[in-house]
Amino acid sequence: MNPGQYIMGLFKEEDSTVNAINELEKSSYQFHRVNSPIPSHKIMDALKLKKSKVGWFTLGGGIFGFLGGFALAIYTAVQWNLIVGGKPVVAIIPFVVVGFEATILFAVFGNIIGMLTQTRLPSFKDLEHYDPRCSGEYFGILASCEPGQTEGLKDLFKKSGGEIRTFSEQS
Amino acid sequence: MSQLTYASIDQTILDTLSPAKKYYWAIVAVLFLGVLFGAVCWTYQIFVGIGVGGQNNPVAWGTYLINFVFWVGIAHSGTLISAILHLFRAGWRNPIARAAETMTVFAVCIAGLFPFIHLGRVWQVYYMLPIPNQRLLWPNFISPLMFDVIAISTYLIVSTLFWYTGLLPDLATARDRAEGMRKKIYRILSLGWTGTHEQWRHYTRGYLFFAALATPLVISVHSVVSWDFALGITPGWHTTIFAPYFVAGAIHSGLAMVLTLVIPLRKIFGFEKMITTDVLENVAKTIVFTGLIVGFAYATEFFIAWYSHNIVEIESFRWRAVGDYRLEFFIMVVCNTILPLFFLFKKIRRTIPLLLGISLFVNLGMWYERFVIIIGGVAHGFSPHAWGLYRPTGIEYGIMLGSFCLFFFFFLLFTKHLPSVSMTEMKETVS
Repeated sequence: MNPGQYIMGLFKEEDSTVNAINELEKSSYQFHRVNSPIPSHKIMDALKLKKSKVGWFTLGGGIFGFLGGFALAIYTAVQWNLIVGGKPVVAIIPFVVVGFEATILFAVFGNIIGMLTQTRLPSFKDLEHYDPRCSGEYFGILASCEPGQTEGLKDLFKKSGGEIRTFSEQS
Repeated sequence: MSQLTYASIDQTILDTLSPAKKYYWAIVAVLFLGVLFGAVCWTYQIFVGIGVGGQNNPVAWGTYLINFVFWVGIAHSGTLISAILHLFRAGWRNPIARAAETMTVFAVCIAGLFPFIHLGRVWQVYYMLPIPNQRLLWPNFISPLMFDVIAISTYLIVSTLFWYTGLLPDLATARDRAEGMRKKIYRILSLGWTGTHEQWRHYTRGYLFFAALATPLVISVHSVVSWDFALGITPGWHTTIFAPYFVAGAIHSGLAMVLTLVIPLRKIFGFEKMITTDVLENVAKTIVFTGLIVGFAYATEFFIAWYSHNIVEIESFRWRAVGDYRLEFFIMVVCNTILPLFFLFKKIRRTIPLLLGISLFVNLGMWYERFVIIIGGVAHGFSPHAWGLYRPTGIEYGIMLGSFCLFFFFFLLFTKHLPSVSMTEMKETVS
């Protein structure tokens, strides 16, 4: 994060948080992030976030699983090379079950890998300038400004109905 | 629901994680004794042999597989509530989703034990794994039993990951309010979640994909379980309606188990403002729906047996209704199709003791449904000279008791150590 004064506006309402984000966008203060206890589509829309790329990981996992499931079933059947129940050795219809289950399983693995890599989890380092109330009842907007502009930034948050928390450099 | 605030939701749910009282540990200890008893019975079976159970010719599949199908079925409504209703944006599922998902995970674990128990020589379980077992022989994936291994393993892994992913934001909330050792444990479990907008952006997308993947999975899993039976030529089993019939039955039993678990949970922990009577009423309405599907399937089986002019099928279903297991059949029909119809009356749907009572009967009925299908099929097959009867032995009852104790043991531990209602989803409901 860039040097300067870090200030967090803490809001109890989703709408006032969105309002503060919009005001912040119009200002010269630097926006850093929002911490919130719930996923808020209003906030995501206000921040104009792009669609997540997690789906590509899910798709990749699914394709791998689909091919891998069929490959496993076919490979093992060829090792037997024995006709069972009058079905061909490589019996596609029963193998659809294996292929389907493997598709789901590996798509989920891909999904998990996507979520972990994109959210950068696990991360056991303390997040800088984090207020634990943001996992409970507050939406927190973290912004920074030049040392001489702190009052203006605080006013912006207050006008939107927020409470203020000022972080020292160590917090 | 409107009186709830974010703070009151956190307060109510996090209060349940405070150190437990003595009576809680007393119940946990009793359940643990039940688990030990079941373990002793299984150990005895391993040393003496599978013959200590009642399975024999012609009924080679007994309570172990009844319980397997029963517990897999119980698991299903957890996924229905957490994944399918999530996709439908049914807000009423939020207060019970966590308990239902947890029920799913534990029920699949318990179900997964029974094939091990049924094997007898449990140390040869690796024959079921996709590795060359002996002389480079691989499992044969044409067999529906191998479908089952793949499907149940996938279901266990996916439902556990789904459950844990849903827990992450709540674990962070618990972390931020805990102290000492608890804080350290929640800190590790929450993986450093801080609820930044970037985290939510990827999380909501990933969670949506989870739900979208779990939905076809849950339908496939009980379909695969039904094919363990339907792909055999045994009378009473060899029918194409088994997959939807089993899926509906699974959801029917699971919803009843949700009521059985959630009604005491809300009373003990004071969740009445969150798990409202409206929520329970919606579960009851869904039970009416699944009960009607199950009833329709029962009737269809009899109709098709008559319509087929197949004398073996006709005899199989005649015997099912009036033969040696007529009492079990009667319990099945009454508990699964007739008692749920009482939920058509609003007053009954909104009376908590009646909701709990009928849910218990549906659980009982669904266990007997598995008994009637599994035992009834093989006990009365094609050749009259090979007909036979089956009764479970004390060892089987002991193992069954152990399995039920293990399920409730896990669930009780969960309720005091992890948030049993999703704080995040409750907040979404009130926001």
